Amino acid sequence: MKWQRWAIPASGLPVVAFLAWGLTRDPHTIPSPLPGKPAPGFALQTLAGDSLRLSDLKGQVVLVNFWASWCLACRAEHPVLIEAAKRYRDQGLRVVGVAYQDSRDDARAWIAERGGDWPIVLDVGSHTAINYGLFGVPETFFIGRDGRILYKQIGPLDKEVIDRWVPKLLAAAPGTAGVSGTGAPADTFAEGRSAGHVRVSPEFPTTGGTVRPK
Amino acid sequence: MSSRSLFIVALAWLCVAAVPAAAQTPADSAAAFEAKVRDVALSLRCPVCQNNSIEESPSLLAQDMKREVRERLAAGESPDQIRRYFISRYGEWVLTKPRPAGINLSVWLLPVVALFGGAVIVWLAVRRWVRQGDAARLPATAHPPLVPAAAPDAAELRARRARLQASLEELESEFAAGRLAAGDLATLRQRDEAELAGVNDALKRLKKEPGAKPVGEAPAPSPAGFGSVWPVRLAWVIGLAAFALILVLSLRGSVAARTAGGTITGTQVTTSAAPLEMEIQKIGPLDSLRIAQLEATVHGDSTNVPALIELGHLYLAQGLLQKAVLVDTIAIRLQPDAPSSAEAFAHLGMILWGTGETEGALKSLDKAVFLRPELPEALLYRGIILFQGMQDMPAAAEALDRYLAVAPPDANTGRIRAMRDAARQASAGK
Repeated sequence: MKWQRWAIPASGLPVVAFLAWGLTRDPHTIPSPLPGKPAPGFALQTLAGDSLRLSDLKGQVVLVNFWASWCLACRAEHPVLIEAAKRYRDQGLRVVGVAYQDSRDDARAWIAERGGDWPIVLDVGSHTAINYGLFGVPETFFIGRDGRILYKQIGPLDKEVIDRWVPKLLAAAPGTAGVSGTGAPADTFAEGRSAGHVRVSPEFPTTGGTVRPK
Repeated sequence: MSSRSLFIVALAWLCVAAVPAAAQTPADSAAAFEAKVRDVALSLRCPVCQNNSIEESPSLLAQDMKREVRERLAAGESPDQIRRYFISRYGEWVLTKPRPAGINLSVWLLPVVALFGGAVIVWLAVRRWVRQGDAARLPATAHPPLVPAAAPDAAELRARRARLQASLEELESEFAAGRLAAGDLATLRQRDEAELAGVNDALKRLKKEPGAKPVGEAPAPSPAGFGSVWPVRLAWVIGLAAFALILVLSLRGSVAARTAGGTITGTQVTTSAAPLEMEIQKIGPLDSLRIAQLEATVHGDSTNVPALIELGHLYLAQGLLQKAVLVDTIAIRLQPDAPSSAEAFAHLGMILWGTGETEGALKSLDKAVFLRPELPEALLYRGIILFQGMQDMPAAAEALDRYLAVAPPDANTGRIRAMRDAARQASAGK
């Protein structure tokens, strides 16, 4: 009989503890399923009018950078990307820009004004963006020589992020190409998983917070 | 079966099969397809907005996602296949209704557990009350004169003892005065003395074991009220403390000052560009209420310039830039040269600066400062644009000086002073 008296209120404690634990978590941290997985392929037209396939860059380290001419945070990010492309070019880093919900003219004018000599493709209909699980721009995917996404950056890149991930990708053995299986070196794969939690928004504007001229 | 009858049976089957095909017009199947698209779209969450499905969201990405759903359905994929595809890209997060597995299961189970637990508590409580009622009634009928219905405490017993002693003394004096027969005295005294002995007994017992029930203990150990056993009290105290802690934590999260560039509502992000950040810090948590109020006002009277301008300010702070541009433009059209429009010009200047229209921004802010020379945000943004956009250091230093002179110091003052000093240095170096 006696145990019942304190067992009833005490049984509420796990619930309280569970709710308290929930308060310590950030609701904007959404686990992304993509790091560790093969990068979705695409074949899109560049601003110059050529066709570009991701598979053409197989065996190389690629940054796929989603951006838009109407996006404010992309302006802040652009110099970082230019610097990274220049610094790591000789070691084999390739950058591909994907213009998201943008017009060819706007994207071209933006690049002409701000520089950047890497190919930019136009994602008409956002098919590629959805394929990459895009929340907003900018977002950047770090793809290893084996064609797997190692890391996904939500929000603008900074030098620190580039320097943390790019050398790691460049250092991975070039012979690990091959889309399926466990081709990735063990430590890379583990890091890919640890980077599987990405933070959505606060630090960068999604489409909701930016100016859309159209 | 002859070949002829076989033919008739086949014909009959054909007729039966043809009926639903004929009944279903192309319009029907198109409507059914749209309903299917809607169903799937309702089950997928829009990545841009919070708590909207891609069916309900007006955002471009949601529309594109809905088109993707339509294309995949048309290509013959099942709704589940399509949902799996989106999960593989966005994670389980993308489902508007989480799957009942793993930790999500708690969402399904907790209400049931709570309901069941509540029922158990109610049952136990009712049983306790019923028993308490029985316990109170039983002794009252068993020994009516000696034991009162309610369990008496020490003070009550002492009062009763005093009353009995007084009554005995009175009996003696009545007898001495000759108003009471000797036989009557004996019976009355016996009655009172017996009761006094009972009371004394009860008091003694109470002294020996304080906390125990003095008299009239029910035969079964009577279930006590909630507060009488310390583990129960402890459990309640812990529970209440935990609840208070949660309340404080969650309140702190929702009321605390927003960090620069932080979110206002979930994913509605304020831009990370430095200028807007500064603006946003001044905004309190009750803005959406105020916005609704102002929107109603403006709806009734679209020429209410102060309301339009305040609305512009709040829209800007919430990152609703297009709406801000709209109301500020209306305000400016209504009163292009009134000092009250200075704020509207300042807002437009900030937004233009955010989009990279440096010269337009500067023009708008010049007008704002012209209309109201001491409007802090106009001075500040003019200074920032002159400094960062135009690199006109002497003018930037002057504008920031004026800002620092009129604006009350806040969290950004240090940064702005540093910018002013840098502008001064640069202009001195030239």
